[in-house]
Amino acid sequence: MKKLLTTKWFIVLAVSLLLIAGIVLSFLPGSPLKAVVGISSKAVSPAQKSVKTTGNAFSDFWSAIADGIAIREENKTLKEEIADLKYRLNQYEEAAIRYEELKNAFHIRDTFSNYDIYGASILSREADEWFSVIRINAGKNEGIVLEQGQSYPVVDTEMNLVGRVIETQGSNSMVLPLLHEGFSASGKVNEVNGASVIVSGDSVLKRSGLCRVKAFDKNVKLEPGTVIVTSGEGGLFPDGIPIGTIVSVDYSNPTEVTAALRPFSNIGELEDVFVMIPFIADDKKETVPGASESSAPVAGGQG
Amino acid sequence: MDRRKLIRKIVVYAVYILLLSSLQVSYPNRLGFGGQTADLAFVFVVLTGYFNGFVDGAVVGLIMGIVRDCLAPIAIIGIDGSVHVTAGIGMLVMFLAGALSSSFFTKKMHRNIPFAFVSIAFCTLVYKIGGHFLAYSWTFIVPSAGSYDLGFYEIVVRSCLLQTVLNLIAGIPLLILMRFAGPVSLSEQRRTSDDVIMSNEDTSWLQI
Repeated sequence: MKKLLTTKWFIVLAVSLLLIAGIVLSFLPGSPLKAVVGISSKAVSPAQKSVKTTGNAFSDFWSAIADGIAIREENKTLKEEIADLKYRLNQYEEAAIRYEELKNAFHIRDTFSNYDIYGASILSREADEWFSVIRINAGKNEGIVLEQGQSYPVVDTEMNLVGRVIETQGSNSMVLPLLHEGFSASGKVNEVNGASVIVSGDSVLKRSGLCRVKAFDKNVKLEPGTVIVTSGEGGLFPDGIPIGTIVSVDYSNPTEVTAALRPFSNIGELEDVFVMIPFIADDKKETVPGASESSAPVAGGQG
Repeated sequence: MDRRKLIRKIVVYAVYILLLSSLQVSYPNRLGFGGQTADLAFVFVVLTGYFNGFVDGAVVGLIMGIVRDCLAPIAIIGIDGSVHVTAGIGMLVMFLAGALSSSFFTKKMHRNIPFAFVSIAFCTLVYKIGGHFLAYSWTFIVPSAGSYDLGFYEIVVRSCLLQTVLNLIAGIPLLILMRFAGPVSLSEQRRTSDDVIMSNEDTSWLQI
């Protein structure tokens, strides 16, 4: 019996079965394996941050050496530009004051005024074609709390759609990127009464950095160059977030015309993103657990 | 094994696990080509199993898997149709990679360097083929997961072969590191025979 317990095949089988059981249980809330991963996250995250910071510093240092001469020339040009920009900044500041006055006067509604917008940096990206969830450095401690079945949109600094938050932990959150097979969003052609479409991740197209677009109506004409934005249907994504541009259309199946879409946001190059959380009334917000005082959004909604 | 060697092993493994996992998820676009990414962590586990035996491969694989699940987990469409972040798949993959690499091409080839590449290619192919098979099966079990519409060319050429080539390339620097700055010192590597590495293992199972 003792010999059996120490044989390699027995160990491999036993550990594999235990892990499979753990994986199945990880679908349920309060999974023990997730707790283990959560604890290790606290140890691993600082190390990963240090490696990333060091890597970036090294990359910057190398760039500084390689681009030294070009930088000197650029510096001269930039100084001139700064002088010009300072002048223009003064003008824009005045214009901004005028805009606020007009906005209040005409009750101009911000496109995403019903959302609190939280800034976050990308901590880790996909490791391979399957391990592809992105991690960002904002979580429950920053006030991003997900209830069962909830999800929040994530956009880049240009307000282009990046993905959605599917899980939050203490100080980080997991984001399902736009290219993932499990991702799906209601979209529309970006024009007045634009046709409704479904944008979803696709296992083939994602390798080329593309998503799939399906039209509800088979008579809808999708053409390369057409811009797709979120339609607001379904309730998760607000209306009007730019998603991407159609690059090719597949007419091989006349009953279901599909197209390939290139997202505006290049996830591989992104450093900072924003999580959009539907605005919560003040009385309700007080009950949100884990929200610290420092978790103020970078740009609050106007309600 | 004396205490000093054991401490060296643990420290070196810890450094490599943290360093490689972090590099993997911090700069995937610099490690990738054609939609695939060279998997430094996976290759390291395979090399550990190949050179240092089952115990090292399995333990390093499990720890590397925890880190993988922590930094870049897999999201799966569940039975209810919603997407779930899983835990444990990275651990399972890396553990099996460590166990597998310690079982093939080791005994007869005396853990020589050229066959380390064969081991990397073999383990990568097993991982990719197994992954595609499971992903395909999952769409049958869970209808809401949609269809798995990857064609033969996509699976064989753009996934399995491309990933294998990238992992083989990633294997070159890692092999040099394992050899000259690895958990076992170079002099120790020369002294240690296969019999010593496998002394604590059941050699009757799948040792080729």
